[in-house]
Amino acid sequence: MSRVFVASVGLVPIGDQWHKSISDLMVEAALKALDKCPWAKPDRIIVGNMFSGASSSQEHLGALLASCLGLKGVPAFKVEAACGSGGVAVHEGYVAVKAGLADVALVVGVEKMKDILTPQATKALAMAEHADYTQVVGTTFISLNALIMRYYMEKYGVTREEMAAFPIIAHKNAVTAPHAQFKRAITLQDVLNSPMISDPIRLLDSSPAGDGAAAVLLVSERYASKENLVEIIASEVANNYFLVVEREDPLFLEATYIALKRALDKTGLKITDIDFFEIHDAFTITAALSLETMGLSERGKAPRDALNGKFELNGEFPISTFGGLKARGHPVGATGVYQVAEAYLQLTDQAGPNQVKGAKYGLTHNFGALDITTAVHILKRVG
Amino acid sequence: MIPIAFWRNRRRYYNLIGNKCKSCGKEYYPPVHICKKCGSKDLVDWEMPKEGKVISYTILLEPAEEFKPYAPIYLGLIELTNGVKVIGMLTDVRKEDIRIGMKVRATLRKLTEDRDGGQIFYGYKFVPVE
Ligand SMILES: [Zn+2]
Repeated sequence: MSRVFVASVGLVPIGDQWHKSISDLMVEAALKALDKCPWAKPDRIIVGNMFSGASSSQEHLGALLASCLGLKGVPAFKVEAACGSGGVAVHEGYVAVKAGLADVALVVGVEKMKDILTPQATKALAMAEHADYTQVVGTTFISLNALIMRYYMEKYGVTREEMAAFPIIAHKNAVTAPHAQFKRAITLQDVLNSPMISDPIRLLDSSPAGDGAAAVLLVSERYASKENLVEIIASEVANNYFLVVEREDPLFLEATYIALKRALDKTGLKITDIDFFEIHDAFTITAALSLETMGLSERGKAPRDALNGKFELNGEFPISTFGGLKARGHPVGATGVYQVAEAYLQLTDQAGPNQVKGAKYGLTHNFGALDITTAVHILKRVG
Repeated sequence: MIPIAFWRNRRRYYNLIGNKCKSCGKEYYPPVHICKKCGSKDLVDWEMPKEGKVISYTILLEPAEEFKPYAPIYLGLIELTNGVKVIGMLTDVRKEDIRIGMKVRATLRKLTEDRDGGQIFYGYKFVPVE
């Protein structure tokens, strides 16, 4: 089996991209990555996307992208795992290269969220949950997270103010991230005064809607002598029971736990060997649950650890180094690809002011709905 | 809301009918095809107890299109007396009176209606019991 390397990445700034179509976004990200490696000709294309049908009346994205790039004869297709589509797309590219079925796998994550109105986007996002048993009783994806957030705060006696530590860190890191949707810092008062969406979730507890696309070019060991490579040393995907209410402990992210454990076991690493963590902070609550499930905080302690600086860029375990889902943005099906691209920038010292100095290992963590499908990647600096 | 999908499951929504494993006795709502505890495929439809308590809740100000006319809606995470957890709307209660630990009972109510076809969708909601 081949080793798998990231050879280049391409990032489209996230936000309102009214003047670009979903194919424009995909092509822009793909070309940014391909132009850096003129020697690379993709022999596999994977597109991660959640709801192009609802947002753009467009499916069949794999072949669409291949065709737009002037390619014929390439195995090219879309993979979907709700908000985890991007992480799963990277995994599919990894599998193809690892197995020797591809030497150059182009992975693109894309989502077009701003061509449709908020109620339509809300409806599309709710499809990540069990349609027959969550949508019918009026539950949206945000309200589901709100139920879990209150449950968590109640169980561990965590205050509203403490929870706000996570969006504050995310926004602070996004200030200097060129591709971030919100390049501005926020204060505790900003969080507490932001509009309520689903009590206790306020606007600034929730990742924003935005258009975006990111690309990573994965290559086999045939190209191991090329410059600026980063190795993917683990790529794991796991599922959890579909409904949060079916789970023994709704505050423990079992898919995350299983995927992470497999990744660590296969690489022989400990979680404390990892230098930075791109976590799935779609909501304030998912940041806390992710860090606790990963063992970076004790149960119920992640918000206090965050307040004490543990997860800052210069802290013990830096998270969301370019702003995470909260502030870099969360174009759902593209997010997992943005994370891997950001880990690549860190491990090739191209992160500018966001650089985690001397980072050797980076971890990305991306899930669909609330940890129903979870993809974990560990990347390693080469040389 | 897809009318035929709703119609297909209507008995389940009206009376909280899930199922029960005939082999190990574990109860489920929604129903499952295979018992998650013992792996048995031998399950029988089973009505959930109607009483439970609120273990979490939210006031949703921006519901999906179908529920917009009723915003804000109150949603509860309810633990039924058999230990099964379900999510449902809370009704006949003022928002300031909703409490964790509050005892509730499932009752049949209108959930929403199809503004094009005129179909009314009924299902369970939870009301406080004193
Ligand atoms: Zn059983």
